[in-house]
Amino acid sequence: MAPSRRSLRGLDWFAFFVADVQTGFGPFVSVYLTAEKWTQVDIGLVLSVAGIVSLVGQIPAGRLLDAARSERLVAALAVGLISASAIAYAGWPIFPIVLAAACLHAAASCLLGPAIAAISLGLVGPREIGERFGRNARFQSIGAGLSAAIMGAVGYFLEPRAVFLVTAALLIPTWTALRFIEPREIDPEQAHGASPRESEDRPPIRLRNLVTKPLIVFGFAILLFHLANAAMLPLMGSVLTKRSSEWATVLIAACMVGPQLVVALCSPWAGKQAQRLGRRPILLAGLAALPIRGVLFATVSDPYLLVAVQLLDGITATVFSVMVPLTIADLTRGTGRFNLTLGMIGTMMGVGASLSPTLAGYITDTFGSSTAFFTLAAIAFVGLTVVALLMPETRPREPDAVTEDGRA
Amino acid sequence: MQGILGNEVHGPNNESMGRIVDVVVDGEGKPRAAIIDFGGFLGVGSRKIAVDWKALRFVPSASKRYSIALALTRDQVKTAPEYKEGQPIVILGASGSLEPIP
Repeated sequence: MAPSRRSLRGLDWFAFFVADVQTGFGPFVSVYLTAEKWTQVDIGLVLSVAGIVSLVGQIPAGRLLDAARSERLVAALAVGLISASAIAYAGWPIFPIVLAAACLHAAASCLLGPAIAAISLGLVGPREIGERFGRNARFQSIGAGLSAAIMGAVGYFLEPRAVFLVTAALLIPTWTALRFIEPREIDPEQAHGASPRESEDRPPIRLRNLVTKPLIVFGFAILLFHLANAAMLPLMGSVLTKRSSEWATVLIAACMVGPQLVVALCSPWAGKQAQRLGRRPILLAGLAALPIRGVLFATVSDPYLLVAVQLLDGITATVFSVMVPLTIADLTRGTGRFNLTLGMIGTMMGVGASLSPTLAGYITDTFGSSTAFFTLAAIAFVGLTVVALLMPETRPREPDAVTEDGRA
Repeated sequence: MQGILGNEVHGPNNESMGRIVDVVVDGEGKPRAAIIDFGGFLGVGSRKIAVDWKALRFVPSASKRYSIALALTRDQVKTAPEYKEGQPIVILGASGSLEPIP
């Protein structure tokens, strides 16, 4: 059964508003708590605990979604929890409440990412999923870019607290968008990566059979990429702050919004081409952008050129948001364990991303920022080589697929 | 009287120079420097700088509060070394000079 236009539009806007809700938080928490006279030690503690929750929560969240019969309900609950934690931040900036809110937010975020992927897969099925992930990424990046600009303005002209209230209010359009998605059109078996026809009497495959060699290779490469990627923007931001005084803030804002525009432009195209040409060419082309960016950051010194180089981040982000879930959907086809696997790869991303600032910070302090950028570029290059040499093409081969259900 | 943690500091042209996130004191408990979180957007790209306590002026403003003025320009602050916990502190003086504290 083809999903209705109404459901697909609902998913578009759900992806858009979820990204808004998420951006409203992340980087703003420490700015807000500083303004609320929190010490750096307490802020650091809250952020670390939340970081750990978002790391260990991914796999349980994936399992929960694989077991869930209504992905829509899980998504609605997760959005509700995030909204509640935004109100808690704004209303009671005291340690126990903020710590609880941060953990709640982290746990709900673990559910939300896979929930969107699962709803998408459940709606359109494995054959159309490449384009769908591309579309999701487009709406998410427009949402994130717009809200970074709006939240920045709200925080600057009103007060930091207002950002959290705006975030909480976004609950209403987010839930409304979700209501547009017709629950009957989401095939729960398909959403978990099982084949719809066989699944009635077949349980999901055993965990030990799930972890295959391509999955291990892919997970390891993705870990390396996040290790190389996560610290690049903050490191570049502090280089900009050092070099340009008047325009640094505007340039950093451009560095955060610019790549989102690139994702919005490229991702549907990437999803479509991955379906047509196969996953490998798109994956390799996208991943190659990261070592190039590292080398350019290490060698370019003009602040405006640095912003232009940062646009390459959009290409990397396209790979992370389109090709990663797509590859996992390929690798888990027929297993019924799509969301769990998404959680496993998500954990590897998290490990890479959380080690990245420490590594980059240490190298910057000891050898300077150029060496740090070269090191990150080298790590990314190793990841690229791993994918190029060891990662097989994952696009399923099925010539009869197009005519099977009467749709082209 | 007022607490100063989290308060915004303004430069010579009344531009925001960031917020005070910590105060460094000497052996007698007298303040030596304020740590300000300078620059950045939405928390990305900001740097913590130790500025001399004497470079700060507390200007009386509305309702018995003080607005905090810093006698340093953005150009002077941006190049100062970053303050890192557990590492030797370099204080940026009112004249723009850098003074390492052992």
